[in-house]
Amino acid sequence: MTDDTVDVLIVGAGASGAALAWSLLETRMRILCLEQGPHLPDSQFPSRRDDYELARYAEFSCDPNVRGLQQDYPINVDDSCIAPVNFNGVGGSTINFLGHWPRMKPSDFRTRSLDGVAADWPVDYATLAPFYDQNDRNTGVSGLPGNPAYPDYAPELPPLPIGKLGQTLAAGFNALGWHWWPSDAAILSRDHEGRSKCVNAGTCDLGCAAGAKGGTNFTYWPMLQSAGVELRTQCRVREVRVDPATGLASGVLYYGPDGQLHEQKAELVVLACNGIGTPRLLLNSKSQLFPDGLANRSDQVGRNLMFHPLTGVSGVFDAPLEGHKGPMACSILSQEFYETDPGRGFVRGYGLHSGRSTTPMTYALGGYGIDRPIPWGAAHREIMDEVYPNLASLTVVAEDLPEAHNRVTLDPTLTDSDGIPAPKVSYRLGDNTRAMLAHGTDRATELLLAAGARRVLAKGEDAVWWRAGWHQLGTCRMGPDPETSVVNGWGRCHDVKNLFIVDGSVFVTAGAVNPTSTIQALALYVGDSIKTNISTLFD
Amino acid sequence: MTLILEPSLRAVLDLSLDLLIPANPARDIPSAGALGVADFVLRTAQAAPADAAHMAQILQALQALDGPPTPDALRAVEQAMPEAFQTLLRLTYMGYYSRPDMREKVGVASWPVHPKGYDVPRESSALMDALTAPVRARGRIYRDAVVMTGDLS
Ligand SMILES: Cc1cc2nc3c(=O)[nH]c(=O)nc-3n(C[C@H](O)[C@H](O)[C@H](O)COP(=O)(O)OP(=O)(O)OC[C@H]3O[C@@H](n4cnc5c(N)ncnc54)[C@H](O)[C@@H]3O)c2cc1C
Ligand code: SF4
Repeated sequence: MTDDTVDVLIVGAGASGAALAWSLLETRMRILCLEQGPHLPDSQFPSRRDDYELARYAEFSCDPNVRGLQQDYPINVDDSCIAPVNFNGVGGSTINFLGHWPRMKPSDFRTRSLDGVAADWPVDYATLAPFYDQNDRNTGVSGLPGNPAYPDYAPELPPLPIGKLGQTLAAGFNALGWHWWPSDAAILSRDHEGRSKCVNAGTCDLGCAAGAKGGTNFTYWPMLQSAGVELRTQCRVREVRVDPATGLASGVLYYGPDGQLHEQKAELVVLACNGIGTPRLLLNSKSQLFPDGLANRSDQVGRNLMFHPLTGVSGVFDAPLEGHKGPMACSILSQEFYETDPGRGFVRGYGLHSGRSTTPMTYALGGYGIDRPIPWGAAHREIMDEVYPNLASLTVVAEDLPEAHNRVTLDPTLTDSDGIPAPKVSYRLGDNTRAMLAHGTDRATELLLAAGARRVLAKGEDAVWWRAGWHQLGTCRMGPDPETSVVNGWGRCHDVKNLFIVDGSVFVTAGAVNPTSTIQALALYVGDSIKTNISTLFD
Repeated sequence: MTLILEPSLRAVLDLSLDLLIPANPARDIPSAGALGVADFVLRTAQAAPADAAHMAQILQALQALDGPPTPDALRAVEQAMPEAFQTLLRLTYMGYYSRPDMREKVGVASWPVHPKGYDVPRESSALMDALTAPVRARGRIYRDAVVMTGDLS
């Protein structure tokens, strides 16, 4: 079956695809988005159930290999110390993301010039700043203006409560003279533009049944659908096709909800499938012109995979800190150790994030993203009765550097439910990252003691969180040189002039912050560049 | 795989679960076996072939015990079949803590977290000002980036 040609075809209805579509609305082009997952109503989010925690180990696991739903694609992680996690549906991984919303900093875009590592980005903070602002307005962001760790900007809504736990840790940071600030959050601290404020339920990974979290299912998609953007769900793209005569993308082949293969033609194709899904799709799109995968003449598609490796340290305090009350990841953030200090023995840096505490089942099973149940027997009772309620934790979120051997390839045998080859991830920690995590573990320990912890529990040697592959970056990086990068400075593939990439795979470096505000700011910037260059777009 | 238990084996399983998550009588917290968590464990294991196979191994080991289960006996089972034991432990913890009443015993609300959530008051501006004063007093801590020139696109 062949459908009508559309002007713009976006693959993926998550964070970046939605932002890009919004940016192009004013062009009045015909925009179609194909999404492999369903459009879940918030009534199906599990936090309204009595046994809501069970969903975290089943259909709402962040790990597609655990969920194993029809719309998920399996990921071979045998050769990785971190498992990538995601969600596939309208909203993408912003369905189960935690809404922590820090921006990258000016220095993050200039790591080569400033620190002699990786490469500088072809865009800088100042260029992206208005797009960060626009995206924040579209999303609804809470936070406290005046953070001295950033150039000036002001979140529109007041900060979320940092709670007893945040106040306790803040006192510790102040005692040591270290930076901290209430977290910016894509979560509403008050009712805003028809959406309800956060009720502090603490289960942001299970969807947000209040609609307070800035998933694109709640923010961009309602606007896009009422503006006429066509969204086809349960449509999984198998490959992007190229016209051999022009070398341009002509559209895609996709499996529809009927299980049949369809062709969709388009003038312009945009990939927004996340940092694993996009290289997978390009590598699956082989042709005579591109025998090694589409837009892969540089051999950079899939390489330079970066996560934010993290580890955690918990302190046991004298009284309950009620850490389960409030958005799961958004209380306070310290960027004391973010910028490079040569005296520390590594370049670049990390953040100390105060996640709140998790719910009892998840704690008993080892913590969020970890499969290591706490002890059984008398020790179990003691931990759950005396330790769990009195915990405060810090996660050390490290900047990963791009390394060519950390990569996404295609698995020779594993496939998704449509028979499309699945991705395989090969990833190991670099020495710089290890040094950073060790430093961060020591500083987090120091902080917890300064905040009044009577003892500290670290996860132990080398314990990066297993399901910490929340941020999948770098696998189709931006750059000026077609020999060493996949897309140019505004997201257009060097090798295919009407093919754009807008998800985190275009990141040149990872910074040490959660990436989604930057991913979406970049998507808006790419959209703006498409509009600016419209008359010469394919030259 | 169907896991059907003779009453005597079911009693051994209940006692074993009591050892995995014991009671805290001082706070009126029941143990896992007494709470009937075995029903959850068996039902859930049956739905996943790998878990069912592990549980079958565990049940066999429990049946072979000389007398009622003890912590030492369970530790021996754990050492002999670590993967199967991890499955038992995981399902026991899941069964126990998916109960709203047990959640409440460790300080977390029994109600589904939506729509009610929790009432957490926002800090007043005065408190936030006081808390952040030392951070603001230190001044800016980010680095400026070098300006690049030339067409990089
Ligand atoms: C548990 C969790 C917690 C997180 N917490 C945070 C946080 O606090 N802050 C933060 O900044 N970030 C967080 N993230 C990361 C954040 O969710 C992602 O950075 C963001 O969603 C990426 O946007 P994207 O558009 O690249 O991909 P996604 O939002 O993942 O969207 C990609 C979409 O593409 C679809 N797709 C993929 N392949 C195909 C195909 N072949 N055909 C059709 N459709 C396809 C997928 O189904 C998916 O819906 C978290 C992620 C997870 C999983
Ligand atoms: S804590 Fe707030 S943001 Fe998170 S799920 Fe609950 S209401 Fe939504």
